[in-house]
Amino acid sequence: MAVAQAERLTFAYPDRREPALRDVSLQLEEGEVVLLLGASGSGKSTLVRALAGLVPHFHGGRFEGRVEVGGRDTRSCRPAELAGTVATLFQDPEEQVVFTHVAREVAFGLENVGTPPEAILPRAIRSLTAVGAGHLADRPVAQLSGGELQRVCLASALALDPRLLLLDEPTSQLDPEAADDLLELAAELGSTVVVSEQRPERVLDVATRVVFLDAGRVVLDAPVDEARGWLGAHRPDWARKAVPPDPRSGSDVVCRLRHVSYAYRADSLVVDGLTLDLRCGEVAVLVGPNGVGKTTVAKLAAGLLQPAVGSVDLHGRAAMLLQDPGRHVVRERLDAEVALGVGGDLPRARRALASVGLAGHEQRHPRDLSSGERERVALASVLVTEPDLLVLDEPTRGMDPTRKRELAAHLRATAEARATLVVTNDRTFATTVGDRIVNLGESAEQNLVAAAHG
Amino acid sequence: MRTSAALALLGAAVAASLLARHTASVAAIALVLFLVCLRAPRGRRWPYLIGTAVSSLALFVVTPFVETLGSHPVWTGPIVPVLGQLDVTHEELASALFQALRLAAVGLAFAAYALTVDHDRLVGAAAVARRSVLGVALATRLVPTLERDAAGLVESLRGRGVAVEGLRRRASLVSPLLAGSLERGLNLAEAMEARGYGRPSRTRIPSAPWRAIDRAAILVALALVVVGATWL
Repeated sequence: MAVAQAERLTFAYPDRREPALRDVSLQLEEGEVVLLLGASGSGKSTLVRALAGLVPHFHGGRFEGRVEVGGRDTRSCRPAELAGTVATLFQDPEEQVVFTHVAREVAFGLENVGTPPEAILPRAIRSLTAVGAGHLADRPVAQLSGGELQRVCLASALALDPRLLLLDEPTSQLDPEAADDLLELAAELGSTVVVSEQRPERVLDVATRVVFLDAGRVVLDAPVDEARGWLGAHRPDWARKAVPPDPRSGSDVVCRLRHVSYAYRADSLVVDGLTLDLRCGEVAVLVGPNGVGKTTVAKLAAGLLQPAVGSVDLHGRAAMLLQDPGRHVVRERLDAEVALGVGGDLPRARRALASVGLAGHEQRHPRDLSSGERERVALASVLVTEPDLLVLDEPTRGMDPTRKRELAAHLRATAEARATLVVTNDRTFATTVGDRIVNLGESAEQNLVAAAHG
Repeated sequence: MRTSAALALLGAAVAASLLARHTASVAAIALVLFLVCLRAPRGRRWPYLIGTAVSSLALFVVTPFVETLGSHPVWTGPIVPVLGQLDVTHEELASALFQALRLAAVGLAFAAYALTVDHDRLVGAAAVARRSVLGVALATRLVPTLERDAAGLVESLRGRGVAVEGLRRRASLVSPLLAGSLERGLNLAEAMEARGYGRPSRTRIPSAPWRAIDRAAILVALALVVVGATWL
């Protein structure tokens, strides 16, 4: 018997005319690992919410067709009643945390579904240990890194021992190794797993089946081997291997970090004696495990932090796109939001919006956009300032491969005008955009192009 | 100490400060609560302490002008329409100080609750009105969350070359912060529903047993209320 099924599901959010899902039929069998692909706004997150019963109960809207999970019709069964059968890990772990300490947070779902009291904490600890976060059990949630928090949220979902595990872009804040670990763990559970992802390459290795959504419709539902062929033929951006660009070495140094150290707390250095030159015409990419100090280095280069030891010499103006820029929205229209950095110059802001594929959306409210679209607005907000040093911290989060390719092309096409520093956990993007990769986890810099060409 | 015992102590301190009749007694309660707040990390405590200080000071300044008390003027001002003759008396100043200290004691008790009480254990220990307790615990987290969001917003704007200086510029961030807070609240509510919140058959982690210190705290809390009503 299928764990979950959708029959001719069509759904439109309230006050939206266009449906987010159109005539979707899907059957999820026991033990399958289904990779859900599609461009930003194609309906992946909506389908995940429909399988969790949150659509239509939490969001309202127009719902046609039928979704059954564990034999129960989601129209007559509230999401809370489905909890335990289904568990969901949402995109942004910070916005799903209820408690202030890790073990209590993991125990929350177990309490809700009526687990015997004496079994709650042992199950919570077991689940934390299973995701490699057992040592975090007594830590305050506020002290965790993004990657650690994502593990804790996964532990919260796994603790329920669900038949259907829904993961909505679960690796967006993880470094490649941690992401691989998480996906392997999810695949080994024995539960049916649905993973919505924008970075398909690593999930394809553990998935058994691929579903591709386009404008709310299922255009592919096939075993993974067949899906690889289809992607190569019909959606090459989703199957393409990263190709290193032609090597370019920069000219003048725009920003020079010399023996820089920085600590947020007196007892632990985050950056220790780093030396780095960022040159005009060059795209440098900063990679490394979660918590190694990539964002701190980026902020030091952009002048948002001052080093405790060492020096940062910046020649010209810097602009930086911070992580999670969708949260930092100030104005109520896209063009006004982007124009903030250029003294309200709306024509210039509109050109910047067009450069990130958002022409025609100028009057929309930034908070009405999907997370991927918000990232692009934020990108336009820094590109519009035409800085001498452009610093981008995780610019591809929530972006589909086509947009990533376009962003990489844009950064490379305009790289001559400035020095560019990109912080990313996205291996493919790093390879595609970088002239030079600086691995903070290792002592020496490596030139990606040189390495790729042997 | 159990969360409920700590909460009883803080509640008793608030009750005693409201029942007490002597300024020195209320000042002593406020001082003790201030010392408790100092146990919290410096970075976390300042919004609460500044908020309490500003509101208490405002009450101290305003009270003499809206109260009519005593016959020993310290200062006599002009006649203002509606309000009449403005003056400040010794008695009004004493009353203003008393009210300001009361407000400070209540504010500091809330600060001590927000800064030192383990909200997770509080929610876990709530045998009744658990939804309300959870609501209060989440609302208490709003202050540090808003503070973090504000810092992120300012940093994000600096990254775009927009300086956020001056009261007017900072005030303009209130609206986006509230909008972000509402959005965060909606997302949290969705995640809670997906995790089974609101199901009737919920259980909870067994509470730790009562210890001598917990019983002593409850007795001290009761005594504080009685002493506040009769002697302080």
